[in-house]
Amino acid sequence: MSEQIEISPLTRVEGHGKVTVHLDNGQVEKVTLSLFESPRLFEALLVGKSFHEVPEIICRICSLCSTVHRVCSLMAVEKALGIEVSKQTRLYRELILYGGHIQSHALHLFCLALPDYLDAQGFADLAAKAPEELKMGLRIKAAGNLIQERVGGRLIHPVTLIPGGMGKPLDRDGLLELKETLEAVLPDATNTFELFSTLPSAPTSLPTARFMAVMSDEAPMLIGERLETSDGTAFQAEEYRERLREDVCEGNNAKISLLDGEPVTVGALARLNMGTWLSQEASQSFLESKEKIIGADIRANSFSQAIELIHAVERSLQLIDSLLSAGIKKEKPPAIAPRKGKGTASIEAPRGTLIHSYSFDGRGLCTEADIITPTAINQAAMERDLLHYARALEGAGEEIMKLELEKLVRAYDPCISCAVHVISTHSQKRISP
Amino acid sequence: MKKPVIAIAGLTACSGCQLTLLNCEAELPEVAERFEFAWFPMGTTGGDDCAAIDVAIVEGAVSTPDDLETLLRLRSRSRLLVAFGTCALWGGIAAMKNHEPRTALTEAVYGEMAVNIRTFNPAPFHQFIKVDFAIPGCPPEKHELLTTLASLLKGTFPVFPQYPVCTECRNRENRCLLIEDNEICLGPLIQAGCNARCPAVGIKCEGCRGPVTEANVAAETELLLRKGFTREEIESRMRRFCPEWDLSSPLL
Repeated sequence: MSEQIEISPLTRVEGHGKVTVHLDNGQVEKVTLSLFESPRLFEALLVGKSFHEVPEIICRICSLCSTVHRVCSLMAVEKALGIEVSKQTRLYRELILYGGHIQSHALHLFCLALPDYLDAQGFADLAAKAPEELKMGLRIKAAGNLIQERVGGRLIHPVTLIPGGMGKPLDRDGLLELKETLEAVLPDATNTFELFSTLPSAPTSLPTARFMAVMSDEAPMLIGERLETSDGTAFQAEEYRERLREDVCEGNNAKISLLDGEPVTVGALARLNMGTWLSQEASQSFLESKEKIIGADIRANSFSQAIELIHAVERSLQLIDSLLSAGIKKEKPPAIAPRKGKGTASIEAPRGTLIHSYSFDGRGLCTEADIITPTAINQAAMERDLLHYARALEGAGEEIMKLELEKLVRAYDPCISCAVHVISTHSQKRISP
Repeated sequence: MKKPVIAIAGLTACSGCQLTLLNCEAELPEVAERFEFAWFPMGTTGGDDCAAIDVAIVEGAVSTPDDLETLLRLRSRSRLLVAFGTCALWGGIAAMKNHEPRTALTEAVYGEMAVNIRTFNPAPFHQFIKVDFAIPGCPPEKHELLTTLASLLKGTFPVFPQYPVCTECRNRENRCLLIEDNEICLGPLIQAGCNARCPAVGIKCEGCRGPVTEANVAAETELLLRKGFTREEIESRMRRFCPEWDLSSPLL
């Protein structure tokens, strides 16, 4: 007898998705994950738009990640047009990226993930059951948002970040305000790490993940040209079209994005496994709990985000000090001459590796746009883990299966509106409706 | 007093309007206390998608049969319906190429798979249903959302400014990007309420809040043409958030 268990809609994730478990006589046959977000068609919307407009439009792909999309598109545009930006601009960009990480991780940890551990349905429930924890999370989140608001001029869809430079830079007083706020939440970030250390870890194991992250030899930044995996593969971001291909995965009829034919996992857990640079206190926390992270499955992702929160706060403070000691200069962004060209950039977004690639014609109008999001990259691994976990849960009953599988999806911290715009030629195309 | 029962949902959108609520960190615990959330998939598990609701606050444009079904269902269950953000009010970013055939756009992205994609030109709510109130912006301003929620507790809606961004910009004594710097700033045409946040940091108004009442489109276009911008550039800018400038506000 065949039956189906459906989790629809997936809740406490960004966007619209569902999971269907297909059973035959109680045995799990397959699990499908469908992202039924409306088609966004961003790649088509961008074609014909000038390079000035591209970053302003593309950040609207997603609100949770608008800052990192904006910065990644700026860097791809600048590469295509051969523009260098000043050190000051680079520092502000890194600072706002960390603001995005703080807000995104805090939102996921406290509003989306934590309710699962406290038998709550969401933030409203949490406000009654664990008001102090919720308030702590919201304080951290507010600090990340304040960075984005002050540096970017607006917290969702920031406005000051433009090709070649930025609008009015945040002044000394503004930086001091950020410094004070961040210093105040540093103990909260440490307490978040303690809180998530005490949460029960998952009993059954999932298949070993193959991790990937953007690596950089230079400044300890989220930005880099080289992508590396935990099994030693390395390639340049601009080769992504040859490396990240669609393929058919066992147990699925649909095509999904794979690296050299294998699922890869990106995000906080992947970054920590890849050994990306951590600030002093974060590094200490990481060393204390290394065995929970190295080689762990995705359910350690939230815990990894908690460690990264400490890093993001500390690194932001360092960046603010660098800006303050250099003195803020009003820089006029260079006049940009349009030219024909192509540029690809990759950044570690809160949810993992993000790639933007654009081509422009001689007038500076976009002829091709392509965006690979962390959720699109994670989807193959997510489906693999869902199938594995559903099989481990056979006989546990529908309620437990639903709850546990939804928790597993949530651990990946998917961002569906980002992922669902995906591309014609090489990423997965199984988009309903 | 009975708590107002609200639903918060999203159609074709970036979730930025819903995130604006979650970004009200200082106020969120009190909002959770004063309202009953009947349906808010982005923030809460469970909930009853058939319950009678007092206010549905919905973001996004309508671009698929599913979107339309969700919108009609929420309208029929809810006493009041608020168009939350520019996509819901004007069509927004998804509608910027409504003057091009939808099938061509879909094929450009999905190739041969495009035939399976059920989608139509993204449209604002008022083309399908009666809208009781709208909060403009991409994203909306936190204070306009909170003012709306606070007014709802008092059984009313707030009054938002009916003058252009330029008014707020002049009040802040910002340098005029349109006149002095010859930039393609849409400030004169766009509804205020953001306190001219972009010009205040030296960035031209991109028009994310949609047309102000009685926007003088002809005068702005003429000025920009005189400054050397092409009609194509001007139209591309103006269509970014609102595809149909000849429509008057659905709420007037």
